[in-house]
Amino acid sequence: MEKEAFFGNSTVINWQMRSPDAAASLPNMNSGHVNIVWDQTIDQSAKFGSALSSLVSSPSSNPPAAPGGGDSVVIRELIGRLGSICNSDEISAPSPHYHSANNSCYSTPMNSPPKLNLSIFPNPAHMPFSADPGFVERAARCSTFGCSGGGSHGGEQFIFPEVGKLGNAPEESCGSGNAKKRKAVMKGKGKEAPLSSSITAVTNPPKKASVGGLNTKRSKPSEKTGIEEESARQDGDAASKKMEEEKIAKPPEAVKDYIHVRARRGQATDSHSLAERVRREKISERMKLLQDLVPGCSKVTGKAVMLDEIINYVQLLQRQVEFLSMKLATVNPQIDFNMENFVNKDMEIHQNCGLLPPQPVYPLEATASSFSFANLPERTPLISINGLELQSQVNPFSQPNLSRNLTMQLPPLEGFADTACQLGTFWDDDLRTVVQMGFSQNQENLFSSQSFQGSVTISHMEIEL
Amino acid sequence: MISSASTSAAAARKKPKSDLRSPQESKWRSGAQQRIYGRRLLEALRATRGTPPAGPRAIKDAADSALALTARGQTRWSRSLLFGRCRRRKVLLKSGGKIRRRRPPRPTRKFVSEAGIEPQPPVLKGKKVRDRLRVLSRLVPGCRKLSAPILLEETADYVAALEMQVKTMRALADALSAAALSSPPGESAPAVES
Repeated sequence: MEKEAFFGNSTVINWQMRSPDAAASLPNMNSGHVNIVWDQTIDQSAKFGSALSSLVSSPSSNPPAAPGGGDSVVIRELIGRLGSICNSDEISAPSPHYHSANNSCYSTPMNSPPKLNLSIFPNPAHMPFSADPGFVERAARCSTFGCSGGGSHGGEQFIFPEVGKLGNAPEESCGSGNAKKRKAVMKGKGKEAPLSSSITAVTNPPKKASVGGLNTKRSKPSEKTGIEEESARQDGDAASKKMEEEKIAKPPEAVKDYIHVRARRGQATDSHSLAERVRREKISERMKLLQDLVPGCSKVTGKAVMLDEIINYVQLLQRQVEFLSMKLATVNPQIDFNMENFVNKDMEIHQNCGLLPPQPVYPLEATASSFSFANLPERTPLISINGLELQSQVNPFSQPNLSRNLTMQLPPLEGFADTACQLGTFWDDDLRTVVQMGFSQNQENLFSSQSFQGSVTISHMEIEL
Repeated sequence: MISSASTSAAAARKKPKSDLRSPQESKWRSGAQQRIYGRRLLEALRATRGTPPAGPRAIKDAADSALALTARGQTRWSRSLLFGRCRRRKVLLKSGGKIRRRRPPRPTRKFVSEAGIEPQPPVLKGKKVRDRLRVLSRLVPGCRKLSAPILLEETADYVAALEMQVKTMRALADALSAAALSSPPGESAPAVES
């Protein structure tokens, strides 16, 4: 349509003027940004005023609208240009921050201007079709604000909520489908899309939307639009207020549109994406925690593999508990004796096992346990197996000077000498199976070191498990 | 200076991480916890001895309950272990809530949740990860049907607790067996085939 083409031309010029200026003016002050844009639009408006009035006059079937129509058309044009600017800026501006500022500034009105294009484009088309008292009403309201505002900031501020309200009404009437189409189109564009493509982006959706809009406009009576307006105004106010609050709350992350149709490209400034990002970060935090806890997970990257490791480790620990409980079951009858001694020994063992003995001071089981403590943090099974093997063979033979207080351990050492030789034969098989099963070798050492034939058989049973 | 600022920033960044870590790791790795658990375990074992020697499973249960008791019921798995036998488990579990931390809970940001929000976090939960999370939830007691972050938290605590349990039980078993060995041969009971 010629009018659309005309609008397109005007918008081209506006963009060429706008985008460098708007990009240059990158203040975080949303109002400041708004002001600049408004100034330029108003400059342009003078040029287009006459053209627009001619536009309006030709199809005008609303004589009462004509005098006010000129102003209303001007303002409509401004709004339309604003919307197109918003679209173009959104597409062409390089920095996401700029986007965010733009978006935040325009978040509710952002809704409206492109959607107001909906209203603008179809409306001139409508003009020949039907008298649209609703539109006239809106235009009149707009015009009053426009006249009062002029180039002043106050007027701008006024106009924006009005624009928002106006925009919401057609938006609701046209439905979210159009918005989604626009969103798809806009998302399709890259950041540095040429102006022509941006123009087409703006004109295409309005064309599509105009089709839909036309249908809806035809279907809905004007009174309904009036009612929608009322609700839209309230929604717009509420949304703008919320938007303001959130802006203040999170200045670096600008908030996107509340009406969730318009998720902008990439950056998580949507409230949903924000929530999702927070959740993601929580999860990654916890994964890092677990990574520190589970030995041998520092090199692993990726959630799946790490979770694998964690699962294996938990299973390992649970199996160890089972074995130890079985072992305790065998030893249980002796609990009654020397309860206090046991407690003391426990404490000492706990304390002693914190430090690796420089000499093989401890008997097998203690060394084994100390090795286990040492090995848990660094998982080097093969090396430790060899080390433990050595230990097991060294210890009984070198009767170390026991600096430990547990004298009870001494006699068992001699007993261990025999078993150690047996252990040597057992070790290879057991350890291999142990490694295959992913046990910590200390387990096996412990079992063997206890030097019960029974316990060794138990360990065999464990292996066969 | 820049370096000091960076280091202080790094330190500040490290602090919350260590804060995060401390409630679980340091709690379970402290000697005090081990001692407490050791004592509880001994008591539990003594209790099981009263009944006819029930075998390793009873001991394992006793050990687990002692562990859960040491956890003081602040975690879900501990509560589930403690009240696993009790009928009113669900009520007790729910009443306990999440893990209590020394850090104050993060202030919830105001989000405007429109109708479009998905209950789950986004695409990052691939199929593999979700499967493994399910397996993990089966491993950790009382942690089925938990969301990912909570589950991971519980797992971390559970892993730390298990490590401590293994350590303590091993030491106890060693001490006991050593004592048994040292005692006169008549008293030493060689392995029961169980």
